[in-house]
Amino acid sequence: MSAEAAVPTGGHFSLAGLVKPLLQPLIAVAIAVVVGGLLVLSLGENPFEIYWLLISGSLVGWPNFLVTLQMMSPLLFTGLAVAISFRAGLWNIGAEGQMIIGALFAGIAGFAVDLPTFLHIPFCLAAAFLGGLLWALIPAVLRVWLNVNEIVVCLMMNPIALLFSGYVSTHLLKAPGPTNKLPDIAETAVLPTFSLYSQVNAGFIIGLALCLLFAAINGWTKKGFEWKIMGLAPRFAYYGGIKVPLHAVVVMMISGGIAGLGGAEQVLGEYRAFYDNFSPGYGFDGIAVAMLANFNPIGVVLAAFLFGALNGGSAVLQMMTGLSKYLVQVLQFIIVLILAAQFTWGWLRSRKNAITAQEDRLEPETEES
Amino acid sequence: MDSDIAFSAVRISTPLIFAAMGGLLTYQAGMLNIALDGFMIVAAFAAIAVAYVTGSLGIALLAGVFFSVVMAALLALFNLRFRAHIFIAGIAVTFLAYGLTALLLKGLLGEDGVFSANTIPTFSTIEIPLIKDIPWIGRVLSGHTILVYLAYLSVPVVAWFLYRTRWGLRVRVVGEAEDAALAAGVNVERIKLQTMLLSGVFCGLAGAYLSLGYVSLFANKMTNERGLIALAAIFFAKGAPFPTALVALLFGTATALSVRLPQMTGAAPQLLQLIPYVVTVLALVVVGIRNARSRSRHGAWRFDVQ
Repeated sequence: MSAEAAVPTGGHFSLAGLVKPLLQPLIAVAIAVVVGGLLVLSLGENPFEIYWLLISGSLVGWPNFLVTLQMMSPLLFTGLAVAISFRAGLWNIGAEGQMIIGALFAGIAGFAVDLPTFLHIPFCLAAAFLGGLLWALIPAVLRVWLNVNEIVVCLMMNPIALLFSGYVSTHLLKAPGPTNKLPDIAETAVLPTFSLYSQVNAGFIIGLALCLLFAAINGWTKKGFEWKIMGLAPRFAYYGGIKVPLHAVVVMMISGGIAGLGGAEQVLGEYRAFYDNFSPGYGFDGIAVAMLANFNPIGVVLAAFLFGALNGGSAVLQMMTGLSKYLVQVLQFIIVLILAAQFTWGWLRSRKNAITAQEDRLEPETEES
Repeated sequence: MDSDIAFSAVRISTPLIFAAMGGLLTYQAGMLNIALDGFMIVAAFAAIAVAYVTGSLGIALLAGVFFSVVMAALLALFNLRFRAHIFIAGIAVTFLAYGLTALLLKGLLGEDGVFSANTIPTFSTIEIPLIKDIPWIGRVLSGHTILVYLAYLSVPVVAWFLYRTRWGLRVRVVGEAEDAALAAGVNVERIKLQTMLLSGVFCGLAGAYLSLGYVSLFANKMTNERGLIALAAIFFAKGAPFPTALVALLFGTATALSVRLPQMTGAAPQLLQLIPYVVTVLALVVVGIRNARSRSRHGAWRFDVQ
C-alpha cells in the first residue's frame, strides 16, 4: 500500500506539496487509459471516439451531469468507508455486504414504521448505519479478540449479506407481486430528489458532508491522527500508548456504518424499496475509489466523481457502440492494480525515500498472508 | 439420497475441487489467492470462444488453461515483483477479469451477457466398466465426462506432490517458515511463483469445465463465487488436500440441494447456499478460540495475523 503518499508534506504550504499526492493517482489513471485504449483498438473501435463518448456522455449537458452525480452517490459512501478503514490499516473489503445490510435495514425501517418525515428519514438512516455497523462488527471483533484475519471474514460476509437479504426479500417480507423486493417505503421516508433527469437525491449531500467531516476529523483531531499512525506503524502506535484494539473496532464500526448509509441512499433515494441483488458491486468499486483517493476523504470525492462519470458515460457507450459498458470496470481495476504495486514508484521519489522503501522490504509479509 | 442429486453433486463439485486444489497449493506456500474466480472466468471465456472458432475441445481446454495461467502470472508479477498486497491485487485481478470477459464477450462474440452456441461439441460421457453395474453407486459415479474424473484424480496427485516430493516439502516450508526456507537456500520467490502458476492451471480446468463441461454456455460472472467457496473449503480443511476435497464435495452437495430442494419443498435456496460461508466463518471462530487459549500470556495486540 502506498503509505508514503498518505503522509502530509507538513504544515507549510507549497506547490510541490499540492501536486505530489496527485501525481501517483494521475499516472495510474494515465496508464489505465492507455491500456484501455489499446484494448479498444484491438476490438476494432477508435479509442479517441470511445473516450470522447465516455466524457460527453457523462459531463456534457445538464441531464448527463446529473446522472453522473447519481452514479457518484453510492461511491461516496463506499469509497469513504473503505478509505477510513484502509487508512487505519484495517482491510475492510466487506463494504459490499455492509452496504447491502444497511440497505435492508433502511428498507425495513422505511415501510414497517409509521413516523412523520422529520423523524422517519433520520430513523431510516440510523437503522442503515446500525445495519452496516453490525455487519462490520463481526470481522472487527474476530480480528481483535481472536486474531482472525479480517479480510477473509469480510470476504465471506459479502455473500452471506447478499444471500441473507435475498432470503428476506424473496421469502420473509416479500412484497406481493412478481418482483423480488420488500414493500415500497413510505412517502415520509423518501430522500428528496432534485431533478427529473436523474435520481440524484439528498443522499448525495449527506455523502459529501460525511467526506468533509472525515477530512476534518483526519486532519484536526487526535483520533484522526491516531488512526493514521495505526495504519502506518501499528507497533509504534501500540507501544506509544494508542489503544489499538479498541480503535480497530471503532474504525471498523464507523466504516461499516458509512457503507450501510450508502445502502440507505440507494433504497431511500433511488429505488424507494429494497430490491434483491440491487447492487452492481458498489462496495467493490469503493475499494477502487479509496485506492485512487489514497485514503483521503477529499480524494474520495474526486475519485468517486471520476468513477461516477465513467459509470454514467458507460451507459451511453453501451447504447451507441459495439462496446460493453464493462470497459469502465476494466479501467477501474487496472488503476487499482497499479496503485497497489508498491515499489514501482521509486524513480519518482528522492533517493532517501527509495532507501526507506528498501528497508521496508527487509520486513516482508508483515501485513500479508 | 436420491441418486440424481448425488450424481449432480459429483458434477457440481467438479469445478470446486479443481479450484480448491489450485488454491491450496498457494495456501500451502503461504499465499492466500483470492483471485480464483478471476482465473476461472477468464478460462471459461477463452475455452468457449476457442471451441466456437475451432470446434476442437482439446484446443479449447488448452486455451482456457493458458489464459488462466496468464492471469495467475499477472497476479504473481504484481504480488511478488511489485510487492502489491496480495488481497488488493487479487481483488483487482478478479474484477479486471470479470470486466474483461464481459467486454470481450460483446466485442468478439457480439453477445451481451450470455453466449451459447449449439455448434460447439460436448465432452462424451465415460461409462466405467464394473462400477456402472453397482446399483446406486454406479448411477452416481459412472457416466461423467473426462474432466470430472480428472478433478477427483487430481486430489491424490496433489497430495502426493505435496507430501512425498522434495518440491512439496519446499512448498510447505515456504508456507510455514519463510525465513527458515530462505536460510536453507530455497528460492522462495520461485516456489511461490510456481504454486501461483499451478493455481492458474487448476483454475483453467475449472473454468473450462464451467463453460464447456455441462452445457456450452458462457455468462458474465458465471463462476458465481465458486472460487470463494473453494477458498472456504481450503480454510475449513487448513489446506490439506483430501479433507479440502471432501469439504468441497460437501459444499457442492449443499449447492446441488439448493437447486433441487426448493423445487420439491418450496424452501428458500438461499439458506442452503449460505452454508459454505457461514460454516467457514464459524470454523475461523473455532480456530481462533483454540489459538487464543494457547497464546502467550500477555495477550498483546497481534500485529501479524495469519
